[in-house]
Amino acid sequence: MSEKTTELETSAEYLQSGVSVDINPPFRGIKFISNKKLDVNDTEKLEQEIPPGECLQFVIVGDLNIKNHYAHTFLAVTDKHIYGFDEALPEGVEKVSYGQLKSARVKRYYGNAMLVFTLPVEEGTDKKKINFLRFSYTEANLFDAAAGYISAIVSGADMTEELAIVKAALEKQFCVCPKCGRTLIRPGAPCMKCESKDAVIQKLGKYIMPYKGILFFCLFLSVITTAASLAPPYMTRQLVDDVLPNKDIMGLVGCVLILLFTHLIRHGIGTIRGYHLKIAGDRIVTDLRNDVYKKAQLLPMRFYDNTSTGSMINRISGDSNVIQSFMLRVTQEVLVQLFQLIGIVIIMFTMSWQLTLLSLVPVPFVVIGSRIFRKKMKPLYRRIWRTWSAVTSVLTDTIPGIRVVKAFANEEGGMKKFAFRNALWLETNKKASRITTLYPHVVNFLMSCGSLLIWAVGGQLVIRDSDMVSAGLLVSFISYTSMFYTPVNFFANFNDSYQQFLNSAERLMDIMDAEPEHNFAEGKHPEKIVGKIEFRNVNFSFDRSKKTLNDINFVIEPGDVVGIVGTTGAGKSTIINLLMRYYDHYDGQILIDDIDIRDIDMTFYRSQIGYVQQEPMMFNDTIYHNIAFGSPTATVEDVLHAADVANAHTFIARMPDGYDTVLGERGTGLSGGERQRLSIARAVLREPSILFFDEATASVDSETEHLIQESIEQLIRGRTTLMVAHRLSTLRKANKIIVVDRGKILEMGTPQELLAMKGKYYKLVQIQTMTEEIKKAKEEERFD
Amino acid sequence: MERIYIDNDMARFVRKDLTVVDMELADGRRFENLEPHRLFPVSVQDQFITLLDENGAEQAVIRDLKTLPKDQQEIIEDCLNEYYLIPKILRIRDFHERFDGLTLFAETDKGPKDIDIRILLKGFRMEGVRVMVRDINDNRYEIPDINRLDSLSRQILGRYI
Repeated sequence: MSEKTTELETSAEYLQSGVSVDINPPFRGIKFISNKKLDVNDTEKLEQEIPPGECLQFVIVGDLNIKNHYAHTFLAVTDKHIYGFDEALPEGVEKVSYGQLKSARVKRYYGNAMLVFTLPVEEGTDKKKINFLRFSYTEANLFDAAAGYISAIVSGADMTEELAIVKAALEKQFCVCPKCGRTLIRPGAPCMKCESKDAVIQKLGKYIMPYKGILFFCLFLSVITTAASLAPPYMTRQLVDDVLPNKDIMGLVGCVLILLFTHLIRHGIGTIRGYHLKIAGDRIVTDLRNDVYKKAQLLPMRFYDNTSTGSMINRISGDSNVIQSFMLRVTQEVLVQLFQLIGIVIIMFTMSWQLTLLSLVPVPFVVIGSRIFRKKMKPLYRRIWRTWSAVTSVLTDTIPGIRVVKAFANEEGGMKKFAFRNALWLETNKKASRITTLYPHVVNFLMSCGSLLIWAVGGQLVIRDSDMVSAGLLVSFISYTSMFYTPVNFFANFNDSYQQFLNSAERLMDIMDAEPEHNFAEGKHPEKIVGKIEFRNVNFSFDRSKKTLNDINFVIEPGDVVGIVGTTGAGKSTIINLLMRYYDHYDGQILIDDIDIRDIDMTFYRSQIGYVQQEPMMFNDTIYHNIAFGSPTATVEDVLHAADVANAHTFIARMPDGYDTVLGERGTGLSGGERQRLSIARAVLREPSILFFDEATASVDSETEHLIQESIEQLIRGRTTLMVAHRLSTLRKANKIIVVDRGKILEMGTPQELLAMKGKYYKLVQIQTMTEEIKKAKEEERFD
Repeated sequence: MERIYIDNDMARFVRKDLTVVDMELADGRRFENLEPHRLFPVSVQDQFITLLDENGAEQAVIRDLKTLPKDQQEIIEDCLNEYYLIPKILRIRDFHERFDGLTLFAETDKGPKDIDIRILLKGFRMEGVRVMVRDINDNRYEIPDINRLDSLSRQILGRYI
């Protein structure tokens, strides 16, 4: 029952939030789906053009006219015709029937795309296609779905089934925040990114909660020190008005002792408070960094495709510090300064209400100034961060790649790039410094003017009527006025740290609130993965400008060894990336043992896969730990066995420190072939059901390739294996070959079948046999 | 295979479709259904224009469009204008910012457009006085010379560039 209610509530919310695809009133009593609301003119046009009896299925509103100008256009698809409404067309509308067409597709240009209809070849006519409607990339995915629908209907598919696919595409559009482009949890869900700033403060505020005890204790100590700091000016008045004129030595000693006591309290308690605050602050920043790093590990590849390493490091190190110091300021300083402000104002009013009102004169100027300051500084802080990220990017690029830099003698180039970006940072920082240094001085000047006003007016009162205002009262009042301006100054400057905090919080929340990899089926998995792999109508693109995979369909039976071949950029590695679940935003289905991979617990799923990449990633750790990476329960014997299988044990044993050899960053100290064999050992240790090799032998010499090949052959026995390879010699054991070209499967079958077809695979074999022969001859020549 | 560079009047083009031409070289070789693409769509507009066949294979490269006869130049330019949509931002009327999301309410040479950008990502790229803008849907826009914009537009952009 409760589940039902939740479902109903969700649907109601879904409809109320305006994300339903039935956003338009029914057309002639029949509902239709659309991406946007149609206006009265649109409906009139539909009424005019669509004859009675035709059923409107869906409408897609576009944003460009045929002449490449922004305009309101729309595609209306009925059960009989396809209509394109575009004011730039001679008639304002174009109409075709399904019968006239052979197929439909979206042709992507640069920044825009076109719905193109291919016509059947007819004698006596040159017309092969119709450029039907133009649109920007914003709507390209929707028109892709429309083209798929039209092509399917032309080839006799069921309208209702195909309409469901269009509906899914339209709904998916509402899964993206229209403001910031982030993927939402469900259609119409609130975007975490676009939430209010209060919510951000609340979210980050949770980090101070575990230390609230210490923080309250520190706050209590602050109240004591603040109270103690209010005593000295009062004692000054006593000294000036009573003790000194009356030459009261005992009174003087008493006053000095009281002052000494207050200073002891202030500084003694201040030290204890400072220590506890430091500890609490460090703990807060540690927790925050841990959480950010933890989250960073769970983010999908799509996030990293768009984020530089430099900016990630900057966020984890710099931004978390800014947030910590702001949090401490809020929890400590704000209250202390507020107490101080209230305490001083009360004391000042009791001393002289006239002088107190005078001392308030500069306050409005300080407040207005702080607003101007905030406005000016916000973009500058962001720019400083960006320029600093650019500086760190050069570091993260060039320092790990120092071998390449030296090999190409490009030290000078690197230095110039670094100096240029550093200069940009300096320039931006200089601009900001002008404001940040000017502002506090302006505030201080205004406050000094306040003190001068008190001197001028109060001094006159002392001279004219010392009974009303005594000299001691004036001196004491001036001291309190200076103290009064400290919290005023603090609150005026608070904006500065608030702005820095918001900028840092914004960047940190970009990680904290980013959608993690979806583990839709946490805890759900079959007992064992047998190894059947199936791609069903898989379409995928990294961004909207190009489709990387187009309608991929294949079935791999358990134990098959399948080679994926094709030219560079054909989409081979993308197939592996999707199988690894690095990207989930594809259309269609990928099944393992007839279960959608998105319905299998991700950790379990990945634990069943052995993945060997072209550039194996090694960590700055021992060889032993590098092999045992991701297999915490492996015994020493297991690791040794894995190294044996991978043909790695021999070279490891020869090393002075053996398995204890600590590798440099990214595995420096080993050859490419040695690193590759370690990564194979790593895969062996996992005892995977499925194996993926992505160009595993692409960057090694023939002899090393032979060694790696041997280890691969041992490893793949009885396991479903997918091998992406440029070198066809790697695919000796493959019983099936898939030839991919420009995101599509071109050929598929056993190597013998493909050779007999004399297609692309045949050509690749021919070319490579020639190349291999030449290469072999050259190698023999070299060693003779 | 050596790349064919086209200069001056060594090729004749016939427009076949919106973005497609047929080409006949001076030596009589004919190529059908070639699509001109800029090799440097961001940095260079009129030079190094590759001519790709239906399989995406390059058949020739126009070294500098300006060296071609006027009528030939126009044919290629028309194709490029159909292929590339990089509206020029003429004015920014207003903006709305919320965290990383920024909307610029802009006037472009292709009409008014609300441009949604993620600030922390590759939203803006500046090369001298030229600014390239990329929105959340991978559409591109260009400000040829930021100094030629009105002061309000410059002020708005100045916050992010």
